[in-house]
Amino acid sequence: MLTVSVISPERVLFEGTVDAVVAPAFDGEVGILPKHAPMMTLLGKGELRLGVEGSAGRFRIEGGFLQVLNDSVRVVTERAGE
Amino acid sequence: MAKGRELKRRIRTVENTRKITRTMELVATSRMKRAQDRVTAARPYARALGDVIAGLYTPDLADRFPLLRQPAATHRAAVLLLTSNRGLCGGFNANLIREARGLIARLRGEGADVELHVVGRKGIGYFRYVGQPMKVQRTDITDRPRAEDAASLVDGLMADFTAGSLDAVYVVSARFRSAISTPPTTERVLPVDPPKRTGPLPDYLLYPSAEAILTELLPSYVRNAVYRALVETAAGEQGARRTAMKNATDNASEMMNTLTRTYNRARQAGITQEIAEIVGGAAALE
Repeated sequence: MLTVSVISPERVLFEGTVDAVVAPAFDGEVGILPKHAPMMTLLGKGELRLGVEGSAGRFRIEGGFLQVLNDSVRVVTERAGE
Repeated sequence: MAKGRELKRRIRTVENTRKITRTMELVATSRMKRAQDRVTAARPYARALGDVIAGLYTPDLADRFPLLRQPAATHRAAVLLLTSNRGLCGGFNANLIREARGLIARLRGEGADVELHVVGRKGIGYFRYVGQPMKVQRTDITDRPRAEDAASLVDGLMADFTAGSLDAVYVVSARFRSAISTPPTTERVLPVDPPKRTGPLPDYLLYPSAEAILTELLPSYVRNAVYRALVETAAGEQGARRTAMKNATDNASEMMNTLTRTYNRARQAGITQEIAEIVGGAAALE
């Protein structure tokens, strides 16, 4: 399982554990599963899907970055909406 | 009993004033709680951003990022002053304005040209009164500031700094320590002082590169510093108003007590005198 937090400048939008994360990176979508190597990537504009097929939540995000470390994923974005 | 009627009128006036200040105190208390939540909710973002920038930053990168450029001397500086749109919050705005004036005087003393950006009717009103030109005047930021407000305030300043027409940008705002402690503070947001790294960075895969990530995140860091100043000032305003209105309510209560006591004494004196007159009159008849 992955511990995920989605953070915007104004507040924390999501905090919890999910099976998978698909995020819009700057150059296309990136999928993250448990045991991913430590990674940091810039984000582009698009839909962030938490859980399988976005079952745990979907957010429209733009800009910011994503960080993976020890099965915890931090999505830090400038603009976010449900 | 002319004096008694006069006193009664004053008691009623003070009572009405107390009703108003008491209501304002309650409103400010509830607004402050919400504003305080916004301050707390903004912390995770600031922490996450700070962590990453601290992790990626190395001193030899400094020359390559315009936002990190450390000018040898400050020739042109911008001061962004955040004040409130409304009054009745004690010395809150006066303290902020004093802090800004001190900063401007210091910068001018060091030979810098200062341009002034003011948010909030109270600050604008003051600097218009003293005849100090302001480059930017904003009154459209509510007591619920959004991240876009911060961006609209500071993006132009970042562009000027990058272009080299500004050497430093300061933000004067209120810190929200607690409802009774909202001291004015000055923070230099440009050039950026990268946060200190706490431990070694794990071996991250970086996409596209450390440099590209920093290029993207440094402006976010500056915007966030301004956003934080906005939410803290908004919370501070409510805290200061609550304190001011609480004092006003307490003073009104005390005043009412004194007036009621004076009134009762006057009434008693009137009664005593009437009795004395009656007794005197009856004695004269015998």
